Amino acid sequence: MVGLSEGEKHFIRGGIAQDLRSDGRKRLQFRSISVETGVIPQANGSARVRLGATDVIASIKAELGKPSILRPDKGKVSIFVDCSPTAAPMFEGRGGEELSNDLSVALQRCLLGGTSGAGAGIDLSSLIIVDGKVCWDLYIDGLVISSDGNLLDALAAAIKVALSNTGIPKVSVLGASSDEQPDVDVSDEEFLQFDTSGVPVIVTLTKVGRHYIVDATSEEESQMSSAISVSVNRRGQICGLTKRGGAGLDPSVVLDMISVANSVSQQLITVLDSEIAAAEASEE
Amino acid sequence: MRDLQPSLNQTQRVRLQSALRQLHSLPSSSSSSPLSSVAVADPIQVNHDDNILKGHGTLDCDGEVVATLCGVVERVNKLVYVRALRARYKPEVGDIIVGRVIEIAPKRWRLEINFSQVAVLMLSSMNLPDGIQRRRTAVDELNMRSIFEENDVICAEVRGFQHDGSLHLQARSQKYGKLERGQLLTVPAYLVKRRKQHFHHLEQYGVDLIIGCNGFIWVGEHVEAGENVGMLVEDQKKTSTAEEESWSFTPLETRKHICRIANAVRLLSALGFTLTVEAIVDTAEASLASNIEINDMLGAEFFVQTAEREVQRRASMVRKKG
Repeated sequence: MVGLSEGEKHFIRGGIAQDLRSDGRKRLQFRSISVETGVIPQANGSARVRLGATDVIASIKAELGKPSILRPDKGKVSIFVDCSPTAAPMFEGRGGEELSNDLSVALQRCLLGGTSGAGAGIDLSSLIIVDGKVCWDLYIDGLVISSDGNLLDALAAAIKVALSNTGIPKVSVLGASSDEQPDVDVSDEEFLQFDTSGVPVIVTLTKVGRHYIVDATSEEESQMSSAISVSVNRRGQICGLTKRGGAGLDPSVVLDMISVANSVSQQLITVLDSEIAAAEASEE
Repeated sequence: MRDLQPSLNQTQRVRLQSALRQLHSLPSSSSSSPLSSVAVADPIQVNHDDNILKGHGTLDCDGEVVATLCGVVERVNKLVYVRALRARYKPEVGDIIVGRVIEIAPKRWRLEINFSQVAVLMLSSMNLPDGIQRRRTAVDELNMRSIFEENDVICAEVRGFQHDGSLHLQARSQKYGKLERGQLLTVPAYLVKRRKQHFHHLEQYGVDLIIGCNGFIWVGEHVEAGENVGMLVEDQKKTSTAEEESWSFTPLETRKHICRIANAVRLLSALGFTLTVEAIVDTAEASLASNIEINDMLGAEFFVQTAEREVQRRASMVRKKG
């Protein structure tokens, strides 16, 4: 991964302790975010998010499917992440698989709520067309193009932007017979926008020494003892939580980190909103 | 250096474009030779009577010499070749480089220096810590890790190519050696020109700046030559607790200067300007003068301002010449 000498590691740790990181940021400051929408024409919605040198693409593809028997009134959403070998040589072949799986699982936990589908950031019942018969299956694919730390936050931001860029075709049900599969007509012209106000953002706090930082670069991540990713929605509610890294955390520290993440996330949402508006304006 | 792409707003974009256009129209500082940058398939002007030799990146096409690379046409006597920009570093004897140790092998360290192969630093071509000139023994060889470890950043000089084509380095002076307490930046190698001086001690800041010819740039706390060998590592082994470690951190004031200089380097390399110590210090001074936070140096506004300042500088240089 990143090779750093003792002197450089010491310098990075010192910077975090003194609240002045290597690129001049404070501990709770993000790198500049830039957002582009509609980057994949075939997809229903897509977005590219750059966070410093981290570069990710998210695309949303909607397909008609059958809801699961356990939850006949809800649509299905699945999230996959792929790490491109262009990001780092170690992602070549099957090298990126472990990281890809970790990221997909973390994103599912943070965005899709529990196994029952309750508490999901994406409103699953809005994906249903005919109860128990037809629903939309959303396939969310993330691609890591360039990796310089904080992939999870960038991917979550990209998914949020892509969802706000997504248009789902309007569907009208033709034959509404009760037992067999109903006929549906998918409109080519009319699209429905998603309600993305409930989609959370993820803020990862990386603990280095006694302090924690947001938006760590890969050099800083190499010095972390543990990291907590908190997903927070617009109303400041915690939607999900995952922890990485071997070192344990005191419960009081965890609570403190969550409250910090909560306040940072509100700034991030504001920045993302203005970036989304700018990206959509430039697209038109 | 990974690319920095600030998101510009409409007015900033217009300003940047006009600045870049002006830069194109102004002759660059080394414009004594005729304009010789080529893209792929551009014809290269040659005098066919001279019996020229076509070198790297050129092709004979219907009696005309065309370029097969994007870069600068170089002429050495009869040889005509294209030096590609955005390529790996090409070492020349005497270049001062900064590199990172990737492997310790018998009697030598192997270094990554952004060349097409790893560079070799022999144990025999470097000064021992005690400074005594003598034959290197097997004991010295066993203690090589106490001099440089894997991943250490070190500074050395290109000694020459061996018969088998491998590149050898040397570090026979107090000023070469391990670099600690600072950060390493990587920029495209073509942005660094070989000059007389590559070690800079910026006294007003207490910062050491080493501009390696291979595009590796070290910005760190100032240390007197020869006083720091292995000091930090021993310090750290003694100080185990975080409390004690914090005493050995770089002072905040110096760290601010290091970060400011480092961001100046990042900014200039993103703009594609040649990295000289004057340009770097000028940029850092300008950011101080206009009260720009260290982090905002990478933002859109200062990005555009730096481009505009370069236009003014070159324009005034042209006026002086004229």
